[in-house]
Amino acid sequence: MTKLWYNIAKRIAIVAAVLAGILSVLMIVNYIQTKSVDPLNSQAISQLMTRLKESPNDTALKEQIRALDLLARKAYFTHQWQIRTGSYLLFAFVLVLLLALKYMSSLQPRLPDLSKSPEPDETWESKFLSRKYIFFGGLGLFFLAFVLGILSQTELKNIGIIKTEESQGTAVFPSIEEIRDNWPGFRGPEGIGVAYHTDVPTEWSGPTGQNILWKTPIPHPGYNSPIVWGKRIFLSGADRRIQIVYCIDADSGKILWQTELNDILGSPERRPQVTEDTGYAAPTMTTDGQRVFALFATGDIACLDFEGNRIWAKNLGMPDNHYGHASSLVTYRDLLLLQFDQNAGGRLLALRTRTGDLVYDQPRDVEISWASPILVITGSRTELILNSNPFVISHDPQTGQELWQVRCMQGEIAPSPAYADGMVYVVNDYARLAAITLGETPNVAWEYIDDLSEVASPLATKDLVIMAASYGAVTCFESKTGERLWIQDFDEGFYSSPILVGDSVFLMDMFGVTYVFKAEKEFQLLSKNELGERAMAIPAFMHNRIYIRGEKNLFCIGD
Amino acid sequence: MGMRNKLRLLKIFIVAFLLLFPLLGLSQVPERVPKPDFQTDYSRPDLLTPAPRATVLEYIDIGIIVVALSLATYLAHKQRSRRNIFLLMVFALAYFGFYRKGCVCPIGAIQNVSYALFNPAYAIPIFVIVFFVLPLVFALFYGRTFCAAVCPLGAIQDAVVIKPTNVPGWLANVLGVFPYIYLGLAVLFAATGAGFIICQYDPFIGFFRFGADFNMVIFGMSMLMLGTVVARPYCRFLCPYGVLLNWMSRLSKRHVKITPDECNNCRLCEESCPFGAIVKPDEAALPANREADVKRVAYIFVLIPVVIFGSGWIGSRLDIPLSRLHSTVSLADEILLENSGKRTEMTDETKAFRASGKPTEELFADAGAIQHKFKVGGWILGGFIGLILCLKLTSLFMRRKQLEYDVDKGTCLSCGRCFAYCPYEQVRLGIITPEEAEEMGSREVRIKQFRA
Repeated sequence: MTKLWYNIAKRIAIVAAVLAGILSVLMIVNYIQTKSVDPLNSQAISQLMTRLKESPNDTALKEQIRALDLLARKAYFTHQWQIRTGSYLLFAFVLVLLLALKYMSSLQPRLPDLSKSPEPDETWESKFLSRKYIFFGGLGLFFLAFVLGILSQTELKNIGIIKTEESQGTAVFPSIEEIRDNWPGFRGPEGIGVAYHTDVPTEWSGPTGQNILWKTPIPHPGYNSPIVWGKRIFLSGADRRIQIVYCIDADSGKILWQTELNDILGSPERRPQVTEDTGYAAPTMTTDGQRVFALFATGDIACLDFEGNRIWAKNLGMPDNHYGHASSLVTYRDLLLLQFDQNAGGRLLALRTRTGDLVYDQPRDVEISWASPILVITGSRTELILNSNPFVISHDPQTGQELWQVRCMQGEIAPSPAYADGMVYVVNDYARLAAITLGETPNVAWEYIDDLSEVASPLATKDLVIMAASYGAVTCFESKTGERLWIQDFDEGFYSSPILVGDSVFLMDMFGVTYVFKAEKEFQLLSKNELGERAMAIPAFMHNRIYIRGEKNLFCIGD
Repeated sequence: MGMRNKLRLLKIFIVAFLLLFPLLGLSQVPERVPKPDFQTDYSRPDLLTPAPRATVLEYIDIGIIVVALSLATYLAHKQRSRRNIFLLMVFALAYFGFYRKGCVCPIGAIQNVSYALFNPAYAIPIFVIVFFVLPLVFALFYGRTFCAAVCPLGAIQDAVVIKPTNVPGWLANVLGVFPYIYLGLAVLFAATGAGFIICQYDPFIGFFRFGADFNMVIFGMSMLMLGTVVARPYCRFLCPYGVLLNWMSRLSKRHVKITPDECNNCRLCEESCPFGAIVKPDEAALPANREADVKRVAYIFVLIPVVIFGSGWIGSRLDIPLSRLHSTVSLADEILLENSGKRTEMTDETKAFRASGKPTEELFADAGAIQHKFKVGGWILGGFIGLILCLKLTSLFMRRKQLEYDVDKGTCLSCGRCFAYCPYEQVRLGIITPEEAEEMGSREVRIKQFRA
């Protein structure tokens, strides 16, 4: 009788095992199939959806998509059902198998084998082996852990450092003295076209090599101006395919590194349409002395360290800009500030320099513009002043809050504001040159409507205002009254802006000819210096050095 | 066990199976269905989220575990019935396993308790505390009766024990270290909020819920297949709660015994325990190099502080890789990779984070704080593992005098398999007479045999 039951249980066990095995194989196949099917991303549906975009009113196509979508979903859910049902069946078969095996086992109990001589529980040898394996196993475990710990000390370590900096409130940014000792952005230290290194050559010649210390070809084009921090020069270049940042040794002119920035998250697949005289790399870079920041016409913005390593990068959204985005970057304490005035509306953006996090996004009720912000200390506070159509607006750089606005501009604005001695000067072609007196209620003190600048930003000193038109006229005004002191016509027009160096003004035309003249009430030309190639950028002035970006080369001028 | 009893057992199995099957329908998990992209005026119905378990049901759970533990203790200590222990185990598998889907269980409750200890803001439910504490209290007085008949993870493994083989002593000793490491890691991850890895890597939860990650299904299947020849591998070589139960059970004074009377060293129970929890008599002479071993033990004791410090230091170096398992640190890592251009595709997590508008430096600050916790936790974890290894090594130099067959209080699961092998148990049940039991060998004779 026992044998009969045993045999029955055995057969049941065999049948259950075979069925469970077959079911397991089927379920694995089903699982692999399900994994490979994605009803949401069906290629056929995607193709039909593309066609639907081209002809959105095609009802038959819509029906076809719906039918296909339903089919894909049905298949997906059928697979799900099969797996679920299969699980229950498998569970049942395995349970039956186990019961049968247990039953068989109970019918043939294992009797204790007393034939062997009694052994102590664990022989001394067994304990010896245990000790050996635990000892060496433990050593191995700790060694592996140590190696793992060493190998995994990656960038994540810096997270703690960032936190420490924050908890101590020691966000590092350069002092005003450090900023003025360098050339950190568009139009110099504060963006107002004033150089603090005045011991620079006033004569040079690109074609003859006079006072040209070195000349380095820059492979990729860009109308942005070089910036300098210490012994490093930074500039960017871009075309339809490549966005790149260069770092050049200020002494030798050697390219120390170049970092491509073509794989930024969110970067548009199709490059925007830009005009030839704006290009893809018009915004001038900026630096806070530890990091450099670059912005391109695609809306890609990146932060690199001084070794060219990317710290962060992001896309701000493709600029809706018919010439191409050109406004340059400015840093203020630990903020990176951007004038982002597009066709869709104006914005003032502030990003955290360390991380790229958006700190504020201040909407601006203005038209599109290409000008760059200036950052000036106007008595008791620091203001970020932006030239735009129709308002000149001042913001608190820390919060983005608007401080004041004056309606005085019109047209497509490219020149950035100038500032000196409590007055802001803004200009635009077909609009006016306006002098705004700051105070409780800023207002236009005087204005001038002829020979206006189209691209070049004006330059202001305590006594003078100078502007350069794109057709070659340079005009000088008495700063407080607006009285025109002189006007001088040059052969070529100006896109580059005038820079005050001591008591002289350096102004480069579109053909790379730099005029050096006295910042006086009467025009007095000191020198005329040829670069030997076209140039749009603004020169950078450092101790005994001028760095000029030509169309193809970066020049270092020095005695 | 007579044929009638076996048939009854089979019937009970079938009834249990039939009762269990309808319950499976209740355990279906809702599908995570991608929503159709409607372009019409169709309005989607609101998503329904399951209501939390009613408080009354939680009290019922507490009542059930109290009754189950009491019953298991009674069955093991008083009734000494393996069959009834097994039936209770089947019930526990059905209720705590398939009906309650393996949650909450005392093993996972380790993590809730750890998290609550290090995160005062977390209000740990009272029933979780009860689930965590009760089996330990029972183990402290009566041994691991929880493992015997109440733990669903133990039950599912016990159900598949077909032909158990003995694991060599040295291997069991080495593998016995793993539960301590697992316990340390589980506490560290829970305390830091990185996750509940015991639940995450529970090999059997997928069976209870009829749905799991493919890898976990494979892991669970492997465990069960291994369990047919190596009894309860998870309980013995992985279960972190088993560490705590082991400690408690060692202290128990009323632990189950193999014999209801005095052991006569008949050896009949020798091979009865599939878990290797029976300690055999050992009166062999002390080894010749005893003095050298004593010196080694002394060295180990002296070196314990050094080992704890060294292993703690190594543990602290694991702060980066371990903390990566925390979702915040992992997200910060991904954001760093994306920002630095080393990764060009955004993940769902980073997309969601960027869309949230939360500053990355806040994320990095959070991640930095978590890393610091892992640094401190790494010190403790490393030191703990170093201490355990030292104590384990020391214990392996020890030799205790053992005159009769007994259970190892720490590892014995109180399953009752060994009871029936004892002739005095047979006498107690009236199956054989005391005389017949005596014929199986007197204690004196067996001791003589050992000494020989």
